[in-house]
Amino acid sequence: MKLDDRLGALRLLVVTGKGGTGKSVTATALGRILAARGRRTLLLEVDPRENLHHLCGVPPSGGEIVAVAPGLWLQNLKPEAVADWVVEKQIKVGVVARRILKSPVYHRFVEGAPGLTEIAILGHALRVVRGQLARAPAIDTVILDAPATGHGVFLLTAPRLFVDAIGEGPFAELARQVADFVSDPAKTGLAVVTLAEEMPVQEALELRAALAGKLGREPELLVANGLYPPAPDAGGDQPQGGDALTRLWHDRRRVNDKELARLAERWRGPRIELPLLPVDAGPELVAALAELLAGELNAEDAA
Amino acid sequence: MSLDLTAPRPPLLVVVGSGGVGKTTLAAALGLVSAGAGHDTLVMTFDPSRRLKDTLGVDEAAGGAEVDVAADTSGTLRASLLDARETFDRLVDRYAPTPEARDRILGNRYYDHLAGHLGGVLEYMAVERLYEVAAERRYRRVVLDTPPAREAIDFLEAPQRIVDFLDSGALKIALRPWFDHEGHLHAASGLLGRLGFVDRRLESFLDRVVGLKLLRDMSEFFLAFEPLFDGFRRRAEKVKELLADRGTVFVLVAGPGEQAIPDTLFFARRLADAGFRLGPIVVNRVHPDFPDADGDDAGHRLFRWLGERHRRALDELRRRLGGERPLIALPLVPHEPTDLGSLAAFGRDFQDRLAAARPASRRNAAKSP
Repeated sequence: MKLDDRLGALRLLVVTGKGGTGKSVTATALGRILAARGRRTLLLEVDPRENLHHLCGVPPSGGEIVAVAPGLWLQNLKPEAVADWVVEKQIKVGVVARRILKSPVYHRFVEGAPGLTEIAILGHALRVVRGQLARAPAIDTVILDAPATGHGVFLLTAPRLFVDAIGEGPFAELARQVADFVSDPAKTGLAVVTLAEEMPVQEALELRAALAGKLGREPELLVANGLYPPAPDAGGDQPQGGDALTRLWHDRRRVNDKELARLAERWRGPRIELPLLPVDAGPELVAALAELLAGELNAEDAA
Repeated sequence: MSLDLTAPRPPLLVVVGSGGVGKTTLAAALGLVSAGAGHDTLVMTFDPSRRLKDTLGVDEAAGGAEVDVAADTSGTLRASLLDARETFDRLVDRYAPTPEARDRILGNRYYDHLAGHLGGVLEYMAVERLYEVAAERRYRRVVLDTPPAREAIDFLEAPQRIVDFLDSGALKIALRPWFDHEGHLHAASGLLGRLGFVDRRLESFLDRVVGLKLLRDMSEFFLAFEPLFDGFRRRAEKVKELLADRGTVFVLVAGPGEQAIPDTLFFARRLADAGFRLGPIVVNRVHPDFPDADGDDAGHRLFRWLGERHRRALDELRRRLGGERPLIALPLVPHEPTDLGSLAAFGRDFQDRLAAARPASRRNAAKSP
């Protein structure tokens, strides 16, 4: 199956990667691609400081779902807002619900219960694709630009842990639904974005192993991002008489090549390489990378 | 403030910055320079790359212990790799009034979750361990690398958050009436007068929403933890004092490029506002400017563009910092330094740039006896 058919059939695509790997740009480019294929797509960002709107070329959304392009929407999600929604659903009396929401005990609980934030984020995505959200467009696929902290794997394993630890009550019920949703390979996929450098590649490989061990899942896609252009005499020794720029370029590309070789050896599954482009982060960069990415996704087998 | 790694002071360096900017590498390099100048130095790391781990000797076998780094320095250089869970366990061990109380906490399922996943545990434990080491005075200088975080500011806020959480009177009061010391649910009667109407609603809400199993674990945990709270609170105060001490200098590391500027300025301001001493701001992995390289292939176009962008971002940052604070730009090197030789060279380069960035009057003052 072509990769873009595979991605296009998902209801949730989680895009994960360390800060500085180009994760958000890649997530946005994937959103553009799915939307262009006719999937009604929501880009979901979880970051107190909004960033995706800048990549989409629209003003900050302030938490609302806003239209970015035909078939493409954007939302900046505050996880606490989702936990608050659970409270409001449980406590029918508005004035009581509001006082609970203001209570320090409640805030400590939301901060302190491990995995609650993750469940809130994924639970929101689930409600979006099920059309359970009031005043929201119908959405086929949510692309989640996952928080850069920690391993993406905790985001996906947290619901199961939460169910195991708690078992009862509405949060546990939400967690159970979310756990089923994310462990279904037909519904939820994971794209890992990395730079072709030692630390990020190591972490990508560790994430892959953790995902296989804990969920029995494999990521749908690895994007090796920000590659320096291939050197003209790739693989050769230091170019004689080249300028300082050429020497640095060749050295940095050699680091890329070494890590790409490590990935080729140890990463089972689709891999796509994307270049570092001399374009500022913004809609223009997203468009350029979306074009390259679409070509690779449309190929019969990636890497 | 200015910083000279070859001088005997400051005794504490805290290397902060958002994830993936090269904090750990810089911390190791600073340690080498410091030990090279004859000062016994400890580098405490969290997240070294595989090869850096090998170089420092802090593999899994070392298990958080301080190990000798096989460096040819006149002062001793040691390194440790911090593990949050282990430090947390040790802390419980220390403050638990009885072995039974300790076992109750360590065996509690909620503690298991908390120690592994509560945001801020690693940060809190980092400063805890730092405090222990500083109090023992076995080193002339300690270089603390900080846990990976999206934002540098997390490191400063997380310890307080976790103390607030652990010491949360509100949470204890909310949980206590639910269970007796044997962990049996009993009718919440005695304290209800104090709790009032909304808290009663909150309890019934938590009951419905959270389920009793987690609440029982949490309640047991907080009951078992209660005797430790005093120790924790006092400790947190001491840690705060240590970080605000004149002998503690923060080194802020940032990535190159325009998008890093707001975070860097924000953190610098927060440090100053909180009364901490910020030393140099280090912009790492700056693509060099190549104005004379006039090739027209993809590599030349890209590197000229990157060099120009990074230089512009540096100028902008320098302008917005107002020129009082030393700003050290470390150029992108051909290979990330991971062996002792390249780390030492990286550190020397940093030290040279520090010296050059120091105001002339300070430089002269430093030379006089």
